[in-house]
Amino acid sequence: MMRWPKEQVPSDAAVTLRVEGLSKRFGGLQVFDDIALELEPGGILGVIGPNGAGKTTLINVICGMLSPSAGRILVGSQEITGKPLHVVSGMGVVRSFQQTNTFRSACVGENLARAARFSVGDAEADLGLDTLLEEFGLRQHLEDPSGDLPYGLQKMLGLLMALATQPRFLLLDEPAAGLEVRERVHIDRFVQHARSVLGCGVLIVEHDMELIRRLCPRILVLEAGRVLASGAPAEVLARREVIDAYMGESEEEKC
Amino acid sequence: MKMQPRSRNVFFTDMWALALLAPMILVPILTTNQYYYSLANQALIGLVAALSVYIMLRMDLLSFAVPAFMAIGGYAAAIAAKGGNTNLLLLMALSFAAPALVALPLGALVLRLKGVYFVLVTFVFNEILQLALFETPKLSGGSNGISGVPSVTLLGMDLGTNQGVVYVTLLVAFVATLITLAVTHRYRPEFASIEENETLAESLGLATWRYRTFGFVVAAGVAGLAGFALVNMLMTAHPSSFSSFSGINYIAYAIVGGRGTMLGPVVGTGLLVWSSNLFSSKGEYSAGLFGLLIIVVVTAAPSGLVGTIHQFFKAIRRRLSVSADLPTNSDAATSQPIKGGGP
Amino acid sequence: MESFVSTGVIGLSLGTQYALLSLGFTLIFGILGVINFSHGGFYVLGGYVAYSFSHLAGVPFAIAVLLAALACAVLGYFVELLLVERHVNDHLTTMMITLGLYLIMTTGTLVVFGPEPAEFPFPVSGSFRAGGFFVPYSNLIVLGVCMLVIAVVYLLMYKTRFGIALRAMADDREVAIAQGLRPAQMFPMAFALATGLAGLTGALVTPILALEPHVGESVLAKSFMVVILGGLGSIGGATIAAFIVGIVEAYSSVYLGGSKGALTLFILVLAILVVRPNGLMGSEARKA
Repeated sequence: MMRWPKEQVPSDAAVTLRVEGLSKRFGGLQVFDDIALELEPGGILGVIGPNGAGKTTLINVICGMLSPSAGRILVGSQEITGKPLHVVSGMGVVRSFQQTNTFRSACVGENLARAARFSVGDAEADLGLDTLLEEFGLRQHLEDPSGDLPYGLQKMLGLLMALATQPRFLLLDEPAAGLEVRERVHIDRFVQHARSVLGCGVLIVEHDMELIRRLCPRILVLEAGRVLASGAPAEVLARREVIDAYMGESEEEKC
Repeated sequence: MKMQPRSRNVFFTDMWALALLAPMILVPILTTNQYYYSLANQALIGLVAALSVYIMLRMDLLSFAVPAFMAIGGYAAAIAAKGGNTNLLLLMALSFAAPALVALPLGALVLRLKGVYFVLVTFVFNEILQLALFETPKLSGGSNGISGVPSVTLLGMDLGTNQGVVYVTLLVAFVATLITLAVTHRYRPEFASIEENETLAESLGLATWRYRTFGFVVAAGVAGLAGFALVNMLMTAHPSSFSSFSGINYIAYAIVGGRGTMLGPVVGTGLLVWSSNLFSSKGEYSAGLFGLLIIVVVTAAPSGLVGTIHQFFKAIRRRLSVSADLPTNSDAATSQPIKGGGP
Repeated sequence: MESFVSTGVIGLSLGTQYALLSLGFTLIFGILGVINFSHGGFYVLGGYVAYSFSHLAGVPFAIAVLLAALACAVLGYFVELLLVERHVNDHLTTMMITLGLYLIMTTGTLVVFGPEPAEFPFPVSGSFRAGGFFVPYSNLIVLGVCMLVIAVVYLLMYKTRFGIALRAMADDREVAIAQGLRPAQMFPMAFALATGLAGLTGALVTPILALEPHVGESVLAKSFMVVILGGLGSIGGATIAAFIVGIVEAYSSVYLGGSKGALTLFILVLAILVVRPNGLMGSEARKA
């Protein structure tokens, strides 16, 4: 295997993901402005907001697919602002995708093997993936091309692949999107596993309010590119301005 | 890492490529017919060039720059040979290294580009190199090229005889095949991921640019080897040997044969070199027939000859295994436990 | 000084030729996503069709040129409809198809007309002279005609419903389809427009430059260069780049001599690509 010098990864266990004053604009369009958040190891942060609030772009910027127009992103004391996708991933900040995203022509086993191979984690570590494969119904499909699997299974595979990279922080982009209601409990299980077995901090962008309420002790509400509110879900979701933001959206949908 | 079923298949097929290639060694042993020698040389050189195309195709990149890298390798060897260094191994190493070194900075420039731009730029690079050859007569002999390239030697043996040339070409082809095999198998997951879904690979931590550059550099080196073999066979380094049209030929060899395994370029080169010799009497038609063949294969059999045959067998196997799995009445009766009444 | 100006005029004339040529190429890429390797072939075909009509059938030059453009457009229409359409989303396949087509076209012209350059002189000879200023009439006429055609194409693309629809298709195919535009109808027409332009350019220009079966290759390389420089898919970019290429080529061939000009140009293109990987005005997001 090619031995390339690895990026310096902070060895301190209590390393926090911190976003400060993050802004992104495309030409004249300001997608989001002055976003700040903090995610501790093993923590969970939910990010919600009406469509177009900039949530997916936020993930795109944090993980390195896009570079920010302003602001900083830090893992512990290491700055990862503007670093490319593979470098950020190598530093332990790994994203999942809203749409199914796997190596469709490769079988499930190969997909997971590649995730492990491409990442910088400890090759001998037991991540407990076997248990999850069994629970999510992927075990019997290990030899099947991932592109042939039903949507839900492909989605879960994508999540497991992200986990296989032994991340410190997971950025989940609408993990429940496209999943049947009965499949959504897998997300709960996945997040719980990531936190307890890997000590992962998890950021979840979601539309499924029930899931957010179940899993997230803290949430951030984004609206029109700004943080509208933050705090515990029960409290935040009862606030007037948050309800208005969503009502505005559903009003548009009614038209 | 345990080999996954699919890469085992590819490896198996690639071994077939080696198996098909091995008997070629009999050509200089069994015959002294110059026609067969010429055919063998053409086919082997074409194969090496096609392998250079193949390596890039493994990353879903189409490179028209193969003749350019062939030229760099061929001219480097010619210049060295005329300067007195005729050792075979040295010349082979030089003809690999020279284009590889050029490919490094060039790759840094052009591999960032979207696939389509990459194709165009490699085409333009080929044209640049042709012009550069004409514009640097002191180095390259300009429009006359470098003629009278001395024959290659090894351990005191002069390999300039007709047989010797075939042996040299065989060695070059063998080495190029081994290099291709090594690179495409060692890094198969990386190349396959770049080919299929680069963003996903990067999100998992793969520095795709490194592997793309690596592939590009190795492909350039392999092309350089082909250039050396060509110059050695002709005893001349001339710009006309490295035209854009020849680049199209090598691409056709790889695609018509099948871009999924190394067997593809082997089959494609063999078939197309043989058929172009067949059509050589109708010289002017050959390009057109080539073009027709490309269109037919690409529209009717996109995975090339080898790939299509593969799919055919897979479909048959699937049909056979399905009919074997269908339960018969007796099976159903004995496998299901009888409910209600038992221990 | 005069030669400076007349070289400049020739450069402009070259620029308009390249612009016409590259417009078609960039249109096909922008709208269909197809790299048309047969582009040079349509250029050559246009030349030969015009040659056949004007020298073998005695048709007036201007009419011959129009007929050539029409013939190439019709051929392009059917090529797209029958060959390219089904594979329009597979870049490699369409490249190979157009490549194969180019080979067939080259062989066809070779077989029918022979490898020797055709005797196809421009109908208007002589040059415009003023003091030391010297420009062949042919260049001036071609300059004028090309500018006219470019203007017409711009009008078509920006002021007509058809053109606006084509550009919508190029910008965002999914949205365009959602708006009711039908690629299956529009693609063959876009292709025909592009090949017609190539044929027109060939018919006009080969009397000045040369008409033989293999000129297509250098034409293709030039078109590639222009669209790389200008940004694939950008009509404005292709036009500006075409003029840059034409002018640089004219001046360097007069003042530097030989093919150093072309070499400088190529290296210039590579250098620009370092700084702007999308070309001067390309807008597609580049590979991460």
